[in-house]
Amino acid sequence: MSQPTAISDIRRDLVALLPRLRRFALTLAASAPEADDLVREVCNRAIQKSHHWKGEGRIESWLFSMMRSTCADARKKRKSEAAIDTARGTASIEAEKQSNPILSMPEGLASAFLLGEVEGFNYKEASAILGIPRDLFASRLCAARLRLAALGVETAERRA
Amino acid sequence: MPVSPPSFLQLRLSAHNDGETGEQERHDIDALLVNDPQARAQQDSLKRGTEAGRRFFEDLLKEPVPLEMVRTIKNAPLPRRAVRLPNGPRSPVAFRPSGPQALAGCLLFLALGGGIGYMFGANPAGPDISALAAPASDERDWLDDVVATYRLYERQPKHLAEIGPDGKADILEWLTTNTGVGFRIPDLSESGLTFAGARLVAAKGHPLGVLFYKRSDGDGDVVAITFAKSSPDLGKSIEDIRSDTALVSWNTALATYVVVGPSSAADLDDIAAKAAGLI
Repeated sequence: MSQPTAISDIRRDLVALLPRLRRFALTLAASAPEADDLVREVCNRAIQKSHHWKGEGRIESWLFSMMRSTCADARKKRKSEAAIDTARGTASIEAEKQSNPILSMPEGLASAFLLGEVEGFNYKEASAILGIPRDLFASRLCAARLRLAALGVETAERRA
Repeated sequence: MPVSPPSFLQLRLSAHNDGETGEQERHDIDALLVNDPQARAQQDSLKRGTEAGRRFFEDLLKEPVPLEMVRTIKNAPLPRRAVRLPNGPRSPVAFRPSGPQALAGCLLFLALGGGIGYMFGANPAGPDISALAAPASDERDWLDDVVATYRLYERQPKHLAEIGPDGKADILEWLTTNTGVGFRIPDLSESGLTFAGARLVAAKGHPLGVLFYKRSDGDGDVVAITFAKSSPDLGKSIEDIRSDTALVSWNTALATYVVVGPSSAADLDDIAAKAAGLI
């Protein structure tokens, strides 16, 4: 799937990648519904821009980059519309964050961990996808590991 | 829970775990891990975090994807791409009249118009003017016949072609003789199309060769490549949709070609571009 030929249908690749796209979206978005909206938006863009994909490298890299920039654009737009955000909506997002360890992590840590540790991108590739310097990526990845270790300890203590 | 930035040692250990350190740094950290209990404790902590995170993210993959999301993506229309098709022969001489030539032309047409008007005025028993002015749109155009042929036969899965895919040599001889167009049967398997046979039909009184292809991906859609020696209606390449049928045409100096398929075929222009190069 990483090296599709020119005639392959990108829609098939997208469907096969949906679980991983949703997982990455969850590390970027503020809530699960927002993550799914992000995935829909990115898939739509990818289909419309499929002629830009030349089959070089991993298609995930292209899609993850697009997702990160789409999310950043949406966030800017939301900030300008923050005045109409309701207190109820904010409260439900906070509740969801409490129940999801990924969403509760400080911004940028979960996506760095996912790309560097789980998706297998090296520091150079992952920092390019996230649009941040390599050193900042290395710092976030390390902080994410420490944070996840602490979360594991917290969970174990709560169980005890 | 507040997060303090990682220490220099933690950063070094994390990069070491990822194989992102140089040779010398790797040796230094290996030595440190042997001699320094604090470094080992930090290393264990990082590994615990890695294990916990991996488990968590692996579990996320098990969550079912909404069916509606899958369907939306599968059915999303692909963008139409601009495809370069061969153009018909162009006149090497451009028509660019000078000012005096244009004026002379205007005067000539004025005189002609006046003369014809005088003739009609002087001879009221001439041909019926209303008949001359009847709308040309009553005439079915050549492409309508091509589309009608396609729509008729694509619904006849058992009788799609007169000569089946096994008789390629017969098809070549038969259609070349009757249409006057030399051609090859394009192999469009790269586009998921399998050759299914050929027919000879008439479109606006001209013999029309039709090569049928079927989608091999299970949809069973029929795509046809048609060709005729003359091009009664077409002066340029066109892309159009008529009666739920999409068509893409192009001309060469010797023939006119039209690829016809269902309007849902987003790749028809691609198929036409490939066929143009192979036929």
